[in-house]
Amino acid sequence: MVAAMSFDQAPPISVPLRFFLTAPLFGCAAGLLVALLGGDLLASRWSGPALAATHLLTLGFMLQAMVGATLQVLPVAIGANVWRPRATATITHVGLTAGTLLLVGGFLFELPLLFRIAAPLLVAALTVFILAVGRGLFGGPARGNTVTALRAAVPALAITGTIGAALAVAFGWGNGWPLMLLTDLHAAWGLIGWGLLLLAGVSFLVVPMFQLTPPYRDWIGRRLPLGLAALLLAWSLAAAAGEPAAALRDALSVLLGFAAIVFAAETLRLQRLRRRKHVDATFLFWRTAMLALIAAVGLALVLVLAGEVPNRGLVEIAVGLAMLAGFYVSVITGMCYKIVPFVTWLHLQQRMARPPNMNQIVAEVSVVRQLRVHWAALAALAAGLLFPPSLMLGGLLFAVSCAWLEINLAGAARLYGRLSRAAAA
Amino acid sequence: MTDILRTIDARGLLPPEPMELTLAALDEIGPGQEIVLLLYREPYPLYQILQQNGFGHRTELQEDGTFEIHIFHAG
Repeated sequence: MVAAMSFDQAPPISVPLRFFLTAPLFGCAAGLLVALLGGDLLASRWSGPALAATHLLTLGFMLQAMVGATLQVLPVAIGANVWRPRATATITHVGLTAGTLLLVGGFLFELPLLFRIAAPLLVAALTVFILAVGRGLFGGPARGNTVTALRAAVPALAITGTIGAALAVAFGWGNGWPLMLLTDLHAAWGLIGWGLLLLAGVSFLVVPMFQLTPPYRDWIGRRLPLGLAALLLAWSLAAAAGEPAAALRDALSVLLGFAAIVFAAETLRLQRLRRRKHVDATFLFWRTAMLALIAAVGLALVLVLAGEVPNRGLVEIAVGLAMLAGFYVSVITGMCYKIVPFVTWLHLQQRMARPPNMNQIVAEVSVVRQLRVHWAALAALAAGLLFPPSLMLGGLLFAVSCAWLEINLAGAARLYGRLSRAAAA
Repeated sequence: MTDILRTIDARGLLPPEPMELTLAALDEIGPGQEIVLLLYREPYPLYQILQQNGFGHRTELQEDGTFEIHIFHAG
């Protein structure tokens, strides 16, 4: 009875899985690039290699995994359908993967031609994804704090992509647009707008569900997403207005930082209040991420509030490292270790009477080992800011950690393939 | 008058235990009977399975954020 049940409306497992299996490969590439560059990376956050490493992480690792998570979370957790999930996944995945490689090549080799090819590919991939997801998200009856956060996140992705495309045009054709301002806006909308809103929305759902915590307090769940989006909009206008609005921009920066810290502190509070006092690797990935977010915001606020900061460029890179490798990579890794086994279980459930326990789909011991390598990578990267040779070790450890994530997730995919074939035979 | 066959309090259980317990209990539901599932979220994948396999459901949201899902044979 149970085995014969139909799951027609859930997207095929290949829809989210391709993104989750691609993301760690880009993480590996980012780690190897950092190892190769070593101390040269610290020259400036504006250098071509630094921008290449950044985009291997943001587009290659983060956006891949976030697209996969969105395509999975919308139908299964919110009950909203994505427009033609297979076609959407194929177009988005191919465009995003090829576009990221070309863009990174453009940064590394300073070849305008690569920007000119990458920009339309990325724009096409994002447009298809945003339209397909937007239809289910804005068209359906779904309600709740996760939906509100996702409804704010998706337009923020559109804004990030549009500014990114403008930057690619500027790099590709050299048209004299204000690169510094556009880059700041692009980074803010990507990391605080799309990234943080999406993660908040997904956290509202998966933290109570998988870590057995109480729900996020309603005022946070309801007000944080729209508040964050409104603050970001106001901050962007103040930033675009330039020097006359500098004080307002800085005040808004502080409020944005405060909002991010509220989210991190609430998540840590909920973790303390969880009903089962069991500590697993996912829990620790999540906790690492929240502490890194607080550190990143703290450092960023020092840059905003203290007029003269010695080694300003170095502190900017520290903010980027804490935000990208410390916060986003940790939380996304933790998320992958819950979503991928759950999706595997959900799809096996329809094919066989007794699918393996979720804990057997990815072995916890292997996840714990990856967590230790990830921690070592973060420590070595942080030490590299003061002692540059340590960046090489940090990059290598980061690449090993991402390779380990890939092996663990690919193991789940192989198990699914083997068991579903055996069940069909 | 519907007879509540069983209440599954899945609020302290890790996924996929709530769904496993609910699916296992479906076979026991007789005419005029229902099972009640307690969760802190709406189980959309479960709704789809129920609908496609001849079961109906009615969901009530309690003050404390608990979703009370009543499951019965449709029609």
